[in-house]
Amino acid sequence: MEERQSDDQLVLYGRRFTRRLLLGTAPYASPAVLADAIRAAAPAMLTLSLRRQVSGSSHSGQSFWDLVQETGRTILPNTAGCCTASEAVNTACMARDLFQTDLIKLEVIGDETNLQPDPYGLVEAAAELVRRGFQVLPYCTEDWVLCRRLMDAGCEVLMPWAAPIGTGQGPRNPRGLRELRERAPQVRLIVDAGIGLPSHACQVMEWGFDGVLVNTAVSRALDPVQMAAAFANGVRAGRAAFLAGPMMPRDAAVPSTPEIGRPFAPASSQLPMDHGADAVSFH
Amino acid sequence: MFVIVNGQTHSLPEPRTLGALLRLLSSAPPFAVAHNTEVVPPGAYEECRIAPGDTIDIVHPAAGG
Repeated sequence: MEERQSDDQLVLYGRRFTRRLLLGTAPYASPAVLADAIRAAAPAMLTLSLRRQVSGSSHSGQSFWDLVQETGRTILPNTAGCCTASEAVNTACMARDLFQTDLIKLEVIGDETNLQPDPYGLVEAAAELVRRGFQVLPYCTEDWVLCRRLMDAGCEVLMPWAAPIGTGQGPRNPRGLRELRERAPQVRLIVDAGIGLPSHACQVMEWGFDGVLVNTAVSRALDPVQMAAAFANGVRAGRAAFLAGPMMPRDAAVPSTPEIGRPFAPASSQLPMDHGADAVSFH
Repeated sequence: MFVIVNGQTHSLPEPRTLGALLRLLSSAPPFAVAHNTEVVPPGAYEECRIAPGDTIDIVHPAAGG
């Protein structure tokens, strides 16, 4: 199992990662807490944003950039807060100039209340960014038609939400997410937004998703560093379980301990039963 | 001449270039700049002419999810 996992790499636009947890960088209590959380999570990528300079902001500018660079992690800039395709495209272009990367986590928000993606603006922006040579990771919903349009636009990676950003509710539509996984096996799927617990992350990884992005669930925990480590373990456990091939749920109960040879049992109950434990013999 | 920098009005002396504006604002890297929403690469700051009422956005790395 150990060898199998060490060979298990996440490939995003040709970039190889041994980790499957992505970590957001906002907002932590202090730069030191952020740095410790990054160490504990050991994420594949760190998400960043770009903003006009705000005086007095402890995370802005050079010091924040130095902290991020010292981690050595791959940077994934976002277009957070953009509400139109043109705004997102312009922001992505500034991100590429600032961070020197073609990677972009594309966000086009369509609703101010639940921060749901705008499917029309998202597809329009994704197509334009792919045309301009970006490697686009769109924040989307589990809607199959939207995901198909994004794939048609050239996105090799999708980031469906589990629930609205920052809610920590966990997967609100498990069936829809699992159907997306089944219908798009060739696309890398990273669950983004709404993950609140390591068990949520573990669950979607068990379903075969390729990675998980968390931010608020870590940064707003009482102990962000411990929670970062917990998420790393949750993602690792879920991936290992997926690779191990979970059993199929059954309607009827089946005893795991062999019935054959049970003491005091009448002879009529000693019939062989159809379950795994009986198939194993010990010598 | 006045220009809009990060949403606020600024007076810009001669020469009316993006490079002059960045020096006036003492902008320290890392940053990226857009002139009327179009990104201007660092090598083009001095050639980028600014007209009255133009908008300039200067952004820095920031925390994000």
